[in-house]
Amino acid sequence: MTDTPLLEVQDLSVGFRAGKETLTAVDQANLVIYPGQTIAIVGESGSGKSTMAHAIIDLLPGNGRVLGGRILFEGDDIATVGRDKILALRGSSIGLVPQDPMSNLNPLWKVGAQIKEALVANDVAYGAEADRRVVELLEEAGLPDAERRARQYPHEFSGGMRQRALIAMGLAARPKLLIADEPTSALDVTVQKQILDHLDMLTDSLGVAVMLITHDLGLAAERADHLVVMYRGRVVESGPALEILQDPQHPYTQRLVSKAPSIASQRLSSVKAREEVRAQAVEHAAEVAAEVAHSGEEFGEGNKDILVVENLTKVFQLRGAKPWVKTDFTAVDDVSFRLQRGTTTAIVGESGSGKSTVARMVLDLLPVTSGRVLFDGVDIKELGSKKLQLRFRRQMQPVFQNPYASLDPLYSIYQSIEEPLRTHEVGTKKERETKVRDLLDKVSLPTTVMSRYPGELSGGQRQRVAIARALALDPEVVICDEAVSALDVLVQAQILELLNDLQAELGLSYLFITHDLAVVRQIADNVLVMQEGKVVEQSSVNEVFDNPREAYTRKLLDAIPGGSIPLASS
Amino acid sequence: MPETRPGQERFVAPVDQTPLRAIDAVDVDAVPESQWKEAWKRLRVSPLFWLSVVIITFIAVMIFFPTLFTSSDPSRGSLDNSFEPPSEGHPFGYTQQGYDVWARTVYGARASVAVGVLSAIMTAVLGMITGAIAGFYGGIVDTLISRVSDIFFSIPLLLACIVVISVINNMWPNRGFWGAVAVVVVALSLFAWPQITRQMRGAVLEIKNLEFVDAATAIGATRMTNLRRHIVPNALAPVIVASTISLGVFIVAETSLSFLGLGLPSNVASWGNDLSAAQNQVRSGQHLQLMYVPAAALALTVLGFILLGEAVREALDPKARKK
Amino acid sequence: MWWYVVKRLLQTIPVFLGATLIIFVLLKIRPGDPILNLAGNKPVSQEVRDALAAQYHIDDPLWQQWLFFVKHAITLDFGNTFAGQPVIELIKQTFPVTVVLAVMALAFDGILGIGLGTIAGLRRNGWFDSSMLVLSLLLLSIPIFVLGFVAQLAFGVKLGWTSPTVGGDWNVGKLILPAIVLAVANFAYTLRLCRTSVAENLSADHVRTARAKGLSGRKVVVNHVLRNSLVPVITYMGINLGSLMAGAIITETIFNIPGIGNAAFTAIFKGETSTIVAIVTFMVMVYVLMSLLVDLLYAVLDPRIRYA
Repeated sequence: MTDTPLLEVQDLSVGFRAGKETLTAVDQANLVIYPGQTIAIVGESGSGKSTMAHAIIDLLPGNGRVLGGRILFEGDDIATVGRDKILALRGSSIGLVPQDPMSNLNPLWKVGAQIKEALVANDVAYGAEADRRVVELLEEAGLPDAERRARQYPHEFSGGMRQRALIAMGLAARPKLLIADEPTSALDVTVQKQILDHLDMLTDSLGVAVMLITHDLGLAAERADHLVVMYRGRVVESGPALEILQDPQHPYTQRLVSKAPSIASQRLSSVKAREEVRAQAVEHAAEVAAEVAHSGEEFGEGNKDILVVENLTKVFQLRGAKPWVKTDFTAVDDVSFRLQRGTTTAIVGESGSGKSTVARMVLDLLPVTSGRVLFDGVDIKELGSKKLQLRFRRQMQPVFQNPYASLDPLYSIYQSIEEPLRTHEVGTKKERETKVRDLLDKVSLPTTVMSRYPGELSGGQRQRVAIARALALDPEVVICDEAVSALDVLVQAQILELLNDLQAELGLSYLFITHDLAVVRQIADNVLVMQEGKVVEQSSVNEVFDNPREAYTRKLLDAIPGGSIPLASS
Repeated sequence: MPETRPGQERFVAPVDQTPLRAIDAVDVDAVPESQWKEAWKRLRVSPLFWLSVVIITFIAVMIFFPTLFTSSDPSRGSLDNSFEPPSEGHPFGYTQQGYDVWARTVYGARASVAVGVLSAIMTAVLGMITGAIAGFYGGIVDTLISRVSDIFFSIPLLLACIVVISVINNMWPNRGFWGAVAVVVVALSLFAWPQITRQMRGAVLEIKNLEFVDAATAIGATRMTNLRRHIVPNALAPVIVASTISLGVFIVAETSLSFLGLGLPSNVASWGNDLSAAQNQVRSGQHLQLMYVPAAALALTVLGFILLGEAVREALDPKARKK
Repeated sequence: MWWYVVKRLLQTIPVFLGATLIIFVLLKIRPGDPILNLAGNKPVSQEVRDALAAQYHIDDPLWQQWLFFVKHAITLDFGNTFAGQPVIELIKQTFPVTVVLAVMALAFDGILGIGLGTIAGLRRNGWFDSSMLVLSLLLLSIPIFVLGFVAQLAFGVKLGWTSPTVGGDWNVGKLILPAIVLAVANFAYTLRLCRTSVAENLSADHVRTARAKGLSGRKVVVNHVLRNSLVPVITYMGINLGSLMAGAIITETIFNIPGIGNAAFTAIFKGETSTIVAIVTFMVMVYVLMSLLVDLLYAVLDPRIRYA
């Protein structure tokens, strides 16, 4: 074990010029990497982790610059060195695996040619020998049928395949240090695990040091021995991974450790908290049910099962290469489940599992191919009159995934939340305003937000507005379609807490769609695991976590990053 | 637990240097700003915008208050004055037919700008309606409208106008001012609408899949309501940009048509007519002001509208918004 | 790829039929004597009347007339001018000059537009970029015939560098000035488009990845930025061909070039509507063919279209 550090970052500061001002993105950061070692840099968006990584190989965008400090690579300060030296370093000494596999490959070039370019530029191989090497590298990165794939274009690859190609490209010239910038964030969880496992094995066997950048604390602790936690441009804590996880000292790290779903999900405390929420919610919901059952005007019968889905199936007709030939694609295949009042049922699956399609059918946004959806005993297809349809709409509302697309950018926050009230002609203008204020209060947003526009709010704030809008008509069921998936870890935890609080207070029932099994434990009581349109396993959350029956479920559980780290009991 | 190596010991930053902020707090002091207001702010500081406003205002004054600029009558010309040099009140002299060059140019603004503005409006209306219907309803309606728009698009604008106006010339030889303007406007709009249709259709296609439209449907809004309240307002930006730029293009097109003798009748004061008439006289290199004066006025006007289009495009550019 | 080609070919047919239909309908709008319509309200000799009647099958039902119109268009049988010359002959005589002119204009447009646009895009917001912006806006504002006049005066008459008009015996040298004039109007658009394309691609993710590989700055620009930027520009230039053809009418008139545009202008001047229609139909056919070729070129350049 050599004791000379491979890379030493000393008091590095990086800033961006915006007009006359300079915004500091990285503030006096320090870190050390030894040869062959894997370290992880953890932080949310805006923490400066990616900026620091880009600064190391001088890949900052036009208005970025190093404001101070040193970057010592094998002893030499590369922060202030000339362009030629940096070019020589890039690729051959320090490699990069970038973040987004969809946009980081040139769409007009064959994949093999792009990897060959890395070989040629770093004087590793030329011509026919380089071609052979490319195929070897792709195989090494875990890409099956590498020779054929090398001649294809990026758009013919899946996301996971593209990421493997990017890994092959980063390692092509056998660098000593590989910077992996969130290399798997955009991928399905099982694919993530595969690729990271593979990367671990590769870098171990090649002796390559890895700087892994991630927002996921669990993943970082799983893959690296040494952690560096960054917050708003500064390194707030660093040290051995396990120590930090079991005994976080800086308040920010403590926050992360207590709220990050992958780690929190293993704690008994989260299970207990959920049970309390559920108890309250069921109680309130039962009251509402009794009212509904007795009154003749309310929509529905007042059943315990507020949502019953029977044999739901959706078949799409896709046009293939030949325009007159249509193939059937079964997105959802015979899905059945029941949602009880006051509880949360989660539908978990990776991309292509059909979970979002189920949600859209339940919301009656997508026509059903076969099967029934019963809301409180009423078949939603048999709602004859317009009036009944409107009343049904009031009972069930969605919260969608993309906070940047779920609010009309031309509507003020007030108008967005008021819209459902206006459509259903509820109350006078004054009464509506009071209701909007009340709703904003419920989602912990200041009422001054009413006159603002979505463009001025953050993702988490927009989701809260979306939740307020969903609650405007006092629905009984809220369908959350990946409602927290696009949010930063701590903001995610905040929204989940909010959803739990609202459920306890109002007796709501949730159908929660997500790809993240870790989140499920904090918010759901029952779970459906879907794969390629079919329900693979279905039971209570505790059962699924403690005694998973199916192999696929086990695979999903295994893939939760950080799921296997021993934590101090809390 | 493995030993820590030098440089990797446990480190905790002092809390007073790294204070925690509340998670995702709302900035209470900021002033609310809608997209249009933001765009207006950007427009306000754009030098292109103000330059175009100055030019367009100047031209507008020329159109509505021509007597501020000249006291001559542009339609009165006597051969006695043929090619008279500049004199008091007639800064650029006379044309071959004896018209006051400056007066012709001042009054000529009306015809050219009228054609430009009316064509732009008509094209915008046609394009927006067809584009919205095609993008929103999709399927066979979309295919139909797209094919028809392809057909009209495939005939180059000037050529099509040539055919249309040649034919109409036969039918309606003595048109008068507004008749002539109407013919040119209709001819231009008939073949220019596909441009706007494409913009609108593209924007509608993008927007109709956004989640706030689904949210509105989940509330109980009908498709028509969605189209009216959510989709069309968000799709306006590219159409506004394209229409503003097209104004300048139409004015140039009118002058080209007049140059070919297919535009406005030759006794009507229009820059195209003046330039066309000037063509022969200028060949020899004399009486250059016959060409320069209307050409300068024309170029200035078109520049004004094109600058406006550029400024509007920059203000509404979604990429610029991210900053 | 093959399906893309077939699909495009299939799309071309209704477009062509539709275009001919529109032209045909325009011919038939006026009620009354259809011959007068075609003859431009001028009295014509009985010979010409008979020729027109035969050419346009006046006595047949309307839909048949249109089919004949289409058939004639495809077989390039356009009847005769009023002077008795077969229009197809006229076209054969005049088209080659216009082709040479248009190709030269396209070359100027391409070289200057792409060259300057690339530099402007690479040095975005620099002084070069700003001056190019101003230049292109100015050029867009000046109508082509004004430019033509000025060029003719300045370079032809005053400076004597080129001959002010071209006339019957044309050669490439004499066509240089008209080609530049023709190119100038489009060049501004090409420049702007190229500039935007290059500037966008410069900050693209895959360009940053290319840099991370260790490629030199020049290689990154040439291989990754330019290649990707050119695709929209080249397809746009193909569409430009339409406006080039329209612009050719004016340029040829100013410089007295014996091309098809000039023939069209003469026909307009003389009021020979049938000849105008024939020429325009021919030009539309050429344009439809060109845009088909451009779309196929686009598929060659962008593999995503090919293998979609």
